Amino acid sequence: MHRKSITLFQSLRFRLIASVVSIEIIMLSLLVWNNISIIQATHTDRLRDTATSMIQQIARTSGNYMVAVDYATLEDYLSNIIDYQELSYLVVLDRDEHAVIALGEFPVQPWPVLETHPAQVTDGVFDVTDVITVAGQPMGRVLMGFSLSLMDEAIRKSRTRGITIAVGEIVLTVIVTVLIGLGLTRRLGILAAAAQEVGKGDYSIKIPVEAADEVGRTASAFNYMVAEVSNRTQQLEAAESRSRTLLAENRNLVHASLHVQEEERKYLARELHDELGQCITAIQADAESIRDLSRDGDSRIKTSAGAILDVSSRIYEVVHSMMQRLRPGILDDLGLVEALKDALAAWQERNPNTHCLFNASGDLANLGERINITVYRIIQECLTNVSKHARAGTVTITLTGTADLLMLDIKDDGRGTDLSAPRSGLGLIGMRERVESLGGEFRLDSRVGEGLSIMISVPLPGDEAQS
Amino acid sequence: MVLIKWREGYMNLFQPCADGIRSACVVLCCSLILAFPVAATTGENRHCQDSGPLVFGILPFISAEQLVFRFTPLVNYLSENLKVPVRIETAPDFVEFARRTHEETYYDILFTAPHFFTRASQKAGYRLIASVDSPEMWAVIVVPKQSEIHTLQDLEGKRLATVPPLGLATLLVRKTLFEAGIDPDVDLDMVITPTHDASLLSSYHGVTDASALMQPPYAAASKKVRDSMRIVARTESTPHIPISVAPWLGEACAAEIAELLVNMGTTLEGSAVLQHNRFTGYRQGDPSVYERLNDLLSR
Repeated sequence: MHRKSITLFQSLRFRLIASVVSIEIIMLSLLVWNNISIIQATHTDRLRDTATSMIQQIARTSGNYMVAVDYATLEDYLSNIIDYQELSYLVVLDRDEHAVIALGEFPVQPWPVLETHPAQVTDGVFDVTDVITVAGQPMGRVLMGFSLSLMDEAIRKSRTRGITIAVGEIVLTVIVTVLIGLGLTRRLGILAAAAQEVGKGDYSIKIPVEAADEVGRTASAFNYMVAEVSNRTQQLEAAESRSRTLLAENRNLVHASLHVQEEERKYLARELHDELGQCITAIQADAESIRDLSRDGDSRIKTSAGAILDVSSRIYEVVHSMMQRLRPGILDDLGLVEALKDALAAWQERNPNTHCLFNASGDLANLGERINITVYRIIQECLTNVSKHARAGTVTITLTGTADLLMLDIKDDGRGTDLSAPRSGLGLIGMRERVESLGGEFRLDSRVGEGLSIMISVPLPGDEAQS
Repeated sequence: MVLIKWREGYMNLFQPCADGIRSACVVLCCSLILAFPVAATTGENRHCQDSGPLVFGILPFISAEQLVFRFTPLVNYLSENLKVPVRIETAPDFVEFARRTHEETYYDILFTAPHFFTRASQKAGYRLIASVDSPEMWAVIVVPKQSEIHTLQDLEGKRLATVPPLGLATLLVRKTLFEAGIDPDVDLDMVITPTHDASLLSSYHGVTDASALMQPPYAAASKKVRDSMRIVARTESTPHIPISVAPWLGEACAAEIAELLVNMGTTLEGSAVLQHNRFTGYRQGDPSVYERLNDLLSR
C-alpha cells in the first residue's frame, strides 16, 4: 500500500474552505442585498412620510392665511420650514395657480411632474403637492420638493458600511476556516499515516491525542483499535502456527497411514500369493490327481474331484482378484504406465458404454513407489467414481512427466456435480490427501451437466531423493 | 372704477397715488379703458361676468375656518347665479380688514360690521346694496352661570374678554360701560381676543371673568357653551349687517347681486343658504339707517 498524492479538489481542507467561503459569500451577499433593500425602502418611506406629513401640516396651517390673504405671515411661518435640510423648495399657489410664496430653489414653470413615492423620482427631487382647504373649500395648494441627495448619501453610506462588514466577515471567515482546516487536516493526516503504518504491520504506533474533540476521540479510538488488532493478530498468528503444525502432523499421519495401508496391502497380497495361492494350487493338483485316479472307478469320486477343482479355481480367481486390488503386481513388475493400461483395460471391459482414453508422455519410468501407487490409486478412484456416478460417454486420462513435475489430468463428459453442495463421500478427500502428502496440488473443477475435471501436479524429487 | 390686481391685492386707480408706478398704471389703464370699453350686459344674469372673479370680503369676526364654513354656500350661490367666480377672502384682523377696505378697496363685495360699512362708504365709496333682514343686533356681556357677577358694576376690577378694539361689540360695550359710569380703560381689564368665539370661550374656560360679543355669534355658539353662560347686560341695538359693493362694480352687476340676495328666500337653494347662515333673508339696503353709527367710531 502506497500513499497517493491528493489533488486540490480531493483535498478536504480545500473543499472545507471553499464550501464555507462560498456559503459565506452567498449568504452575506443576500444579507447585504436585503439590508440595502430595507435601508433604501426605509429611507424612501421615511422621506415619503416626512413629505406627506409636512405638506399636510402646511396645507392645513396655510388655509387660514390664504383666506385672510395674509401671505406675509404665512411666508414668515414657512421660512422656518424651508430650513429643513432635505427640503429643496416650497411654493404656495393660490386658487388661480399663481405662486404667492416661493421659497428655496423652486423650479420655473411649468411645475414639475409630481411623484407619489421617492422611488419614482428621476430628477433628484421628490415633488409633492397638497390642496389647501378651509372648511372643505380649496384655497390653493402647496408644492414642495425634497432633495434626494441626503437620502442617497445615507443609503450610499449604509451600503458601503454593509459591504465593508461583509467583506471583513468573509476575510475573517477565510482566516478562521483556513486555521481550523489546517489543524483538522493535519491531525487527519497523522491518522492516515498511522493507518498506513498499521497496514504495513507496525502495531507499535500510537497517535498523540491532542484535544478532546472529534478528531481526538477518533485518535483515541484508533489507538484502541490498533491495540486490539495487534492483540488479535498475535492470537491469530499463534492459532495459525498451531494449525500449520497440526496440518503438517496430520499430513505426516496421513502419509504414514497410507504407507502403512499400502504396505499392509502389499503384505496381504504376498501372503495370499505365497500361502493361499500355493495351497489352492496344491488342492487343485490333488483334485486333478483324484480325478485322474478315479477315471475308471467310482463316478462319484470323479464328480467330487471335479467339484473341488471348480471351487478351487473359483477361489483362485477371487484371490487373484483380491491380490490385484490390494497390490497390482504389474505395478512393481512393469511400471506405472503398464499397470495403468492393464487396469484401464479391465475397467473398459467392465464399463463398455464409456470410452476411456489414456495418454502418457514424458519420463514416467522412475517416479518412485510412492508416486506410482498414489497416481495408480487416484486413477483407480476416479474410474470408480465415473462408473458409479458420471454416466460419461468418454473419460480422458492424460499423464505427463517432466523433469521436476508430474501432471495428471482426468476429464469426463458426464453429468458433473455441484461443487458447492455438501458431499458425504471420502473419495475426493482421500485423493486430495494423497496428493498433498506428496507436496502436490489437487484441483477439482466441475459444473452440473458439464462433466468433471481433476488436475493434479506433483513435484518430482531429485535422483538422490528417489534413490 | 378700474382696479389692477397687484402683488398683494387690488389697487384703486382713482385713489390718489403718489408714486410713479401708480401713475404709470393709471395711464396704462386709461388706455385700456379707451380701447376696451366695458361691455354692456348681454342678457340676464350676465352683468357681472366682465368683472372677473369677485372677491367676497368678510370681516374676520369669527375664525377663518368657521367663516369659510358659514359663508361658502352663500358665495357658491352667488357664483352660480352670477356666472362668475366669487371667492371668500378675509384679513388677519379687523385693522387689516379695514385698511384693505379703506385704502385698497380690496373687496368687490363687502360683508362687514355696520360701523365698518359707514367708514368704507365714506372713505372708499362702497355702495350699500342689501342688509340682513333680521331685527337689529346688539352686543352682550356674558359670564359663567356660577359667576358672582350679576351687574355691570360687578365687573369692576374684573377681566372682560372682547373682540379687537375696532370691533362693533367692543365699541358698543365700551359705550354701555361709560353710560353705566364705568370707565373700561380704568375700572376693569379689557382682554382683547381675535374673534367673538375666542371672546366667549375665554370666560367659558375661566381665563377671563366675562366676555363681550355680538348677540348673533353668541346665538350661534354651541348649546353646551350657551347653557353654561348667563347674560349680564346687553348694549344698544344697531342695524344688521350691510352688504355693499366696491365703487367700480357696475350698477347692473350691483343690482343683480342685490336682487339675488333680496330674492334668495324665494328659491329652494336660496332658502337653504339662508338657513345655513341662520338669516331670515336679505332686504334692500338703506344707507340712512347706518348713519347713527358714525359717532360710534368717533369714540
